[in-house]
Amino acid sequence: MDELRGFLALTLIKATPLIFAALAGVVCERAGILNIALEGGLTAAAFTAVAVSFGTGSPLLGLAAGVLAGMALCALLGVAATRFHVDQIVAGTGLNLLAAGGTAFGLVVVFGQPGASPEVRALGTPGECVLIVAAFACAFLLQAVLDRTPWGLRLRACGENPQAVRSAGVDPRGMRVAATVVGGALAGLGGVFLSLGELDIYSDGMTAGRGFIALAAVIFGRWTPLGAAAAALAFGALSALQFVLQRAGVPSELMQALPYLAALAALTGIAGRARAPAADGVPMEG
Amino acid sequence: MLLTIAAAAMALAGANPLDGFAALLRGALGGTHQIGETLVATTSLLFPSLAVAFAFRAGLFNIGAEGQLVIGGLCAGLVGAALTVPGWIAIPLILFAGAFGGGAWGGIAGALRARFGGNEVIATLMLNIIAALLANYLVVGPLHAAGATGAETAGLPESSWLPILLPDTRLSIALLFGLALAGLLAFVFRRTVFGYALRAAGDAPEAAKRAGIDLPRTALLAMTLSGAIAGFGGATIVAGVLHRFNVALSPGYGFIAIAVALVGDLDPLWIVLAAFAFGILQSGSLTMQAFAHVPKDVVTFVEGLAILALATRRFVAPRGAAA
Repeated sequence: MDELRGFLALTLIKATPLIFAALAGVVCERAGILNIALEGGLTAAAFTAVAVSFGTGSPLLGLAAGVLAGMALCALLGVAATRFHVDQIVAGTGLNLLAAGGTAFGLVVVFGQPGASPEVRALGTPGECVLIVAAFACAFLLQAVLDRTPWGLRLRACGENPQAVRSAGVDPRGMRVAATVVGGALAGLGGVFLSLGELDIYSDGMTAGRGFIALAAVIFGRWTPLGAAAAALAFGALSALQFVLQRAGVPSELMQALPYLAALAALTGIAGRARAPAADGVPMEG
Repeated sequence: MLLTIAAAAMALAGANPLDGFAALLRGALGGTHQIGETLVATTSLLFPSLAVAFAFRAGLFNIGAEGQLVIGGLCAGLVGAALTVPGWIAIPLILFAGAFGGGAWGGIAGALRARFGGNEVIATLMLNIIAALLANYLVVGPLHAAGATGAETAGLPESSWLPILLPDTRLSIALLFGLALAGLLAFVFRRTVFGYALRAAGDAPEAAKRAGIDLPRTALLAMTLSGAIAGFGGATIVAGVLHRFNVALSPGYGFIAIAVALVGDLDPLWIVLAAFAFGILQSGSLTMQAFAHVPKDVVTFVEGLAILALATRRFVAPRGAAA
């Protein structure tokens, strides 16, 4: 019984950053931005949160700063893709390198040591629980916003047919930037959870590809917030299961690879008639 | 502008930017050994960069050069350690194994794209991580070299090592292969029907289709060949530098390659120069860290900035000219 409770708790902890990041992916892709900089967003947020908590002694300020860092990084993608006509994939790759290099460099500048930060004041168990609940709440909230509000309708239209949105008198570029800002905030929450929720340090490479697993969850969830959150939860359970099965001799690499293999399988369409938004990743003219 | 930001970053780390740049250049070009290491880095970057550019020209995003490099290196390492035949037979087989492995890895993404219309960006991103996990599993587990401390396979016999080009350095003839490949690709793009079909598929897919170019087949071919180029690069690192496969084969060459390909404007010959410039950054950064106390990660940061800045310029400039 204790074993089961431990497994469920670990599932929630492992799933929460994935849910936040997957929701970020959904918002961006539904608006037409394929955000491969989610990984960088998580990294930037996780680092900034720890750095600010270290400097101010306040994990709440760290949380706020982390969210802002995620927003800033993803907004850069939105602005680059819509105002400067930079290809989304190229910009995303650049931002990921920027975040990886910037945080590794930042560790030395802020903490005077490479590799990992010292322990800082974290959000603690109550904060961790609040963020877990918030992740699920955000999934329902985002689903409602996309389905039932005019803003959600316009955002989805930007991902399907930006020209039509323009004809209706709304600037699709602004909507796409807005989507990356909202997505950045969500990714920021995921990053903060990793460093100040689950742990109390930042270490190099701690995001470990979660931004890419999130993209897989988006495909599996068929580009809906609830679907992506469910897929992220399943990937979180896989990740928790890894610790159980490793004792039984199953290679941990195989378990770690499952979400990515699942994403490849999803690309073949076996998960059903999953279809990306028509203008997902497609740059706009003019 | 990039230089200014790099200087600011160095100052932030408490170092004199001039000392930093001096250490960087000294570390990259300050002697035979340093030049050798810079050219080793250049070679290691050149192959994945050409791979990225090749797919790019066909309108495909190969974000997976990193994974193809790793799988190519893994295949080369396995074949190389198993072969005990003379070098002139073993070396071509090792390099072919690398190209084959990388090509197969790229081909998975190409097939998903060709057969199911699956997004090659997502596919190659996932394949990168699967490659790293697979290599890690094999090299730490079943294929771990007896007695080795690191995560690596058994070594290649000395007869299978690539001949050294510059005495007293680690620079092998792989550099010549890279230069030859760049020349070959430049010729293919400019002078052959195949190169024309690739560029047409990339620049104007609708028109290419009407002209009778089989787009799915082109996508499969382009991704496979792109992967083979990256995989060949992985094999040259194994046969020329490490003399075994190690999971730390690549410090992100496959991602930096995207910056190199953009800086080189997707032109194979300019990419050679761009790879050299990035090779200086790569090999000089360690000296910079050691002597000017600037963390080497500044280089990664600057590379990320370079991608953003260059991509911006590349796509904005023609518009500015038209306006």
